[in-house]
Amino acid sequence: MSPRAAAKAMVGGIGVVAGLLGLVVVAAAAIVALGLPAESRADDPLPVPVAQPRPTELVIALSLGDPVLQAGAVRDGQVILARGLEVDLARDLARRLGIPRVRFIYVRPASRLLAAKARPWHLTIASIRPGRAASSVADLSKPYLGTDQAVILRRGLPRLSALGELRSRITCALRGGDGARALAASVAPTVRPILAPSNERLLQLVQTGVCDAAVVPADAVGRLVAGRGALLGPITARIELGSGYVVAVTRGGPIAVAEVDRALMRMRVDGTMHRLVRAWLGIDPARLRPLR
Amino acid sequence: MSNAIAMKCSAFLALVATALAIPSAAGAGTSVWFLSDGKPVPVVRGGTTIESAVRQLLAGPTPAERGRGVRSAVPRATPLLSVSVAQRIVTVDLGPRFAAGRDEQGLQGRVGQLVRTVTGIPGVRAVRVLVDGGVPVGLFPGYDLRRPVTAALEPVQGQESIRDHQQQLVDLGFMAPSGLTGTLDTQTSTAVLGFQKWANLSRDGALGEATVAALQRATRPEPRLRAPGRRIEVQLRRQLALLIQGNRVVRAVHISSGAGGATPRGSFRVYRKERYSWSVPFKVWLPWASYFTGGIAFHEYGSVPTYAASHGCVRVNRYDAPTLFGFAETGTPVDVLDEATA
Repeated sequence: MSPRAAAKAMVGGIGVVAGLLGLVVVAAAAIVALGLPAESRADDPLPVPVAQPRPTELVIALSLGDPVLQAGAVRDGQVILARGLEVDLARDLARRLGIPRVRFIYVRPASRLLAAKARPWHLTIASIRPGRAASSVADLSKPYLGTDQAVILRRGLPRLSALGELRSRITCALRGGDGARALAASVAPTVRPILAPSNERLLQLVQTGVCDAAVVPADAVGRLVAGRGALLGPITARIELGSGYVVAVTRGGPIAVAEVDRALMRMRVDGTMHRLVRAWLGIDPARLRPLR
Repeated sequence: MSNAIAMKCSAFLALVATALAIPSAAGAGTSVWFLSDGKPVPVVRGGTTIESAVRQLLAGPTPAERGRGVRSAVPRATPLLSVSVAQRIVTVDLGPRFAAGRDEQGLQGRVGQLVRTVTGIPGVRAVRVLVDGGVPVGLFPGYDLRRPVTAALEPVQGQESIRDHQQQLVDLGFMAPSGLTGTLDTQTSTAVLGFQKWANLSRDGALGEATVAALQRATRPEPRLRAPGRRIEVQLRRQLALLIQGNRVVRAVHISSGAGGATPRGSFRVYRKERYSWSVPFKVWLPWASYFTGGIAFHEYGSVPTYAASHGCVRVNRYDAPTLFGFAETGTPVDVLDEATA
């Protein structure tokens, strides 16, 4: 065989191989189209979760800014020094999820925590209240801290046993705050409530007896009354609003919201949550007797 | 080319060095701020650079200064990581220890000390505080340290104005809301006298340190006796009349009762009221008179000293006399009691 004839024969061989490969590709495509699992179809709204490897580091987004709930020092978007109730809660949560390390990142403004298109973090812990906006972009845990309202009585008044006992009392709350809303919605007082411009003034009104009772956020009551115990009456009751702060779990990530719920439940059951809340807030709102 | 860069670099370093040096008169030293009774106090220290001023601050007060009550809210052994200056803004980077603790006053106080010390140096416009190279967010209540700070927060203590004290007196029931004038007038002094009587303070009618401190911690006066409805309780030792509605003191009134026990003790009722009552034995008009036993009445009188001084009636100061008169409807119970025995 001359070199030219040999070359011709070789080209012919390649053509045959290419043809065969083409057939294989077409056949494979047909098999894939008929037999692949449902998640590859663009019109299917229910993706099957893809098992992701367990991270060795839990990345948690914080908004910072509250000396008691979460505060820190930030360098290049990383929180290099973090502290607060929610920070301690996040660390404990990571431990219970079996993830050895935690990295906090600072997301500013706080609205970006849930609104950002890309969320390169696993969890968001930032006093998030459940709502349509939050639940549309993330899986929300059960509340870890209630946002009920606490009742501070003036000195000399007997403890309350029912919500109705507040109705005829002179009540007060922070102007424009949740306490004022709770008064209107849950107490409906017969005497017009006094709305104070600041927490300082609010406490002064109770201390001096101008108000019989102040309605304040239960998660803040411990801080508000710190150092004033003898000047005020008992803080033994809360008005239940049935809401609280939740953990937002990034969808499609390696952490499932059910795991977070289980960990939070264990923290409640073994007393960890109570210890953390007492340490940071002074008073655990969950231990205040609900008024009905 | 390299010479030009070297020249620029040395010029920059010279600028930084100049900025770091305190441009004050030689030997005059600089003010380092500490706390005394929670209030900021300056202490003069030697040193010629901003860095030395910060180091003096971190070192805390001397034993002698401590003996005089000077304190620092900055934790002991807080390390200084760096000090730099750019455009008259001083950046101070401190170790994480600077943010230790949870006491809000302490956290706020230490930033105040740092800001006062650094911004007090001539030529410094503001101070940027870093903790371990990071920007503190929410670590120090009251301060937004995401940007340079130009002035320290004033401590909460000692900020109350006369109007604030008047508001406290109104809240506690010692003065009518009409007394909120913002000036230290005789109505305020009268209310202060009433409060001082209640709080067992020396009775001078002045808003002195002890009175102000007691006002901060005061709660509403409580009646000695418990009974439903509207009534008046005269406490002879304190020389106060409490106007009570449903066991809640609505007003506490500075009075002067009969000298030498001339006002009878016991439970009575208001039985006669006269806008102006002519006193036959003393030949004087008594405004706003409410009689509750025999010829004994509550009435306005020009002189209401801090002790029992009348012939038996209960003298009421001119600011509260109309209020008491309006409150003491005919039939209103009046309890005159000695608190020591009641």
